[in-house]
This record gives sequence, C-alpha cells and structure tokens, in this order.
Amino acid sequence: MQKLRSSERSGTVLRPTLPPDVAGRTQRQRIIDAIIESCAVKTYAATTITDIVSRARISRTTFYKHFDDKRSCFDAALDHCLSELQEIAGASHDASDAPADAARKAATAVLETLAARPGLAQLLTGDAIALQPKVIERYRRATVPALEALWRSGGKRPQAHTDPRLAFGQAQVLILNQIAIGKVDRLPDLRGEIVYLTVSPYGGHEEALKQARIARETQAGGAVKR
Amino acid sequence: MIDDHEDLRQWRLPRGRHGLPRELVERSQRERLMAAVVKVTVRKGYESTTVGDILGDAGVGRESFYELFDDKLACVVAAHKLLLDDLEQQVRAAYIGDGPWPERARKGLEATLEWFAADPEAARFLLVETSTVGPTFRSIFKSEYARFTSMLDEGFDDSTPGPELTEATSLGVGALLARIYEEILLNRVAELPRLLPDLTYGFLVPFVGEVAAREQQRIAAATS
Repeated sequence: MQKLRSSERSGTVLRPTLPPDVAGRTQRQRIIDAIIESCAVKTYAATTITDIVSRARISRTTFYKHFDDKRSCFDAALDHCLSELQEIAGASHDASDAPADAARKAATAVLETLAARPGLAQLLTGDAIALQPKVIERYRRATVPALEALWRSGGKRPQAHTDPRLAFGQAQVLILNQIAIGKVDRLPDLRGEIVYLTVSPYGGHEEALKQARIARETQAGGAVKR
Repeated sequence: MIDDHEDLRQWRLPRGRHGLPRELVERSQRERLMAAVVKVTVRKGYESTTVGDILGDAGVGRESFYELFDDKLACVVAAHKLLLDDLEQQVRAAYIGDGPWPERARKGLEATLEWFAADPEAARFLLVETSTVGPTFRSIFKSEYARFTSMLDEGFDDSTPGPELTEATSLGVGALLARIYEEILLNRVAELPRLLPDLTYGFLVPFVGEVAAREQQRIAAATS
C-alpha cells in the first residue's frame, strides 16, 4: 500500500482535509520555504534537491510536480520574497506621511523583516546575486520608482541629490557584510545607515541624517525610546 | 623583477630547457595558473570552468597544478588574494600619508577607479565571478570588506570629522563597491574614472557634510 503523504491524510480537527488547490499551494509554499532555509544554511550552490525535499517533508515526485529543477524553484522563491517585501514596504506608511518619513518607515520595516527572517536576507543579497548578477536590476525596479514616487509632486519628477541606484547598491553591500560576519539578527543595528541611504537620494544629506536619527531612536515596532 | 605585485599577464618562461632554478619555475607556473583562472572563469563562469581549461590556458601540466593548488577553488582564492593585494597597495600609496583627509580620500578613490578601469577582466573576476563559488564566498567577502574598511580607518587623522553615522566607513566602502559592480555589469568598467566627481561626493558627504563634499567633487571634476 502506498504511504499517504501528510496533505493526503484524512482530516482531523488539527489537520483538516484541504481542497486540492489549497493543499497544492501549501506544498509549493513549503518547498519555497525549504529552499530559502537551505540556502541560508549552506548557500544555493551546495543545496541539493534532497535537502529541499527533506526540509519540506515532501517526496521528490511532489517537488518535480511543482518545479522543473532547483533553479526554477529558486526563481520562484525569489519572486515570492520580493513581492512579500514590496507588500511590507507599502503597508508601512500611508498617504499622510511626508516623503522622508514614509521612506524611513519603509526602510525600517524591510530591515526588520530581513532580521526576523535571515534566510530571506541571505537569499536576496547572496545567492540571488551570485546566480544572476542582473537580479539587482529587478530589485531596483521594485524600489527606485517607489522611492521616486514618494517625492513626486504634481506629476513632476524629483531632482536627485545622489544616484538612488547607487544608494540601493550600498544598502545591499552593508546587509551582505552583516550576513557575512554572522550578525544577521543584528541587522536592525544598521537602521540609521539604511534609512540614511533610502532618504538621501531625493531628500538630501541633512534630511537623511535627521531621519537616520529618528530611526535609531525608534525601537522595533515603532515605539520611540524614552 | 619578482615581487608579490608583478603583472600576472606578462610573466612567461621560455619553453623547454631553460636552466632556471626550480623555485622560479614554480613561481611562474603559479602565477600563470592564477592569470589563467581569472581569464577562463570570466569567459566561462566558475561553475563550468574545469581544471583542464585552466591548464590549457596557462600551459601548465596537471601534476604541477596539483602540486601548487588543492583544487579549482584554491586557485580562484589565491588569484583573488593576489589581485586584492595589488589593489590595496595602489590605494594605500594614494590614500595613506600627509595632507587633509578629504583630499587623500578623493585620491584613494581615484586610484581605486583607475585600478579597476585598467583591467576589466580582473574587475569582473573579483566582484562578480568570485560571488558564485558557493559557501567560501562569504568568508572571502568578509575578509576583503574588512581589509578595505580598516584601511579607510587607518587613514583617518585629526582632520577627519567624526561622522554621525557609526557605519560611515562601511557606507563609503559600500558606495565604491556598489558603483564598480554596477559598471562591471554594464560593461563600462573602462570608463569608471569619469565617475570620480559624483562618487567623491557620495563617498565624502556622510563624513564631511554637504559643503566640504561638494568642494572635493568640484576638484575631482576639474582635475579629471
């Protein structure tokens, strides 16, 4: 008799039977989480399909039902991470925030997410770039126009003090180094610097310093330290 | 002349019997192999490069290769270190010394951009190809980054303003790395020196503020 996989077992209170499309999505999500975790531990290059399937607790057959190979799985994980971060950045501020405040909130929210989920940070700054250096272009398409839009007034493009694309690269280098020295959980220590980099292209040096100060005084969750 | 910083591309031994001491032959082989690994990995990518490819390009036998290196990765790491030693020496010469800090910083930046522009292949090898070698990359990155942030720190003097951002040094090195990386991907490494004025501003502003950074930017624009 063929052994039933967890998603195929009959439902209980704790493990209700899921409609096939939901179960499918959950499996896919588990695979994506598994490749992210494995890359964090041993990098993409050293990750095998066996690592992924054992972490995800699925069979190889299931893996290949969802993905052609390791690379396509990785690309899906990357898409997933990017859209998640974009959502978090977007939800961190609202229309009533001044541009520099909104940029600070978005940068802080992204940094906190990366600190809480080191695998994600590692994937985005390490493996993704090693695999396809041009992925940086995608990150920028996701961030630079959003940043520019914050400062846009009356449909006019804001004047840049420094190249926002460059600031983005700097932030990425800082985060990569934090990971390389094994302090990914201390990423929020960089919030002054990351906020500075986020605000300075369109807000200028002085405004960026001001926002960096606010960011440093603000604890995770948004409360200002007393 | 043989020292640690000679040009990897120009060192060749005559073929056949040359009566040169063994140490010299090995040294030449080692350097030819390192020059070859740079060339081949940039052309084919690290993953698809074989030891055979490196041997073919260097004109060195397999046995000699394994006397000098454990494997392909060891050869990449050695070449990476040799190139960085050379870069560090050049930047040091321009940056460490007397004179006001912002000016020395600008000169250090200039030396860095010129070093990369002079050899686009080495640039791509150092910053792009090395990132694809797997787990070892993290330790390579860590040490190269620390090397340049501590050189920057070393060059500080009483005239260096204490920047408000604690990681200003990392921001500076990050600015430089990010810019060079970008130009490598766009195949514009040779034109890097043209970016000196803007880079000077972006690099200096967290340390010295708007006015002084603009001044160095103007000087950079006028002299390049």
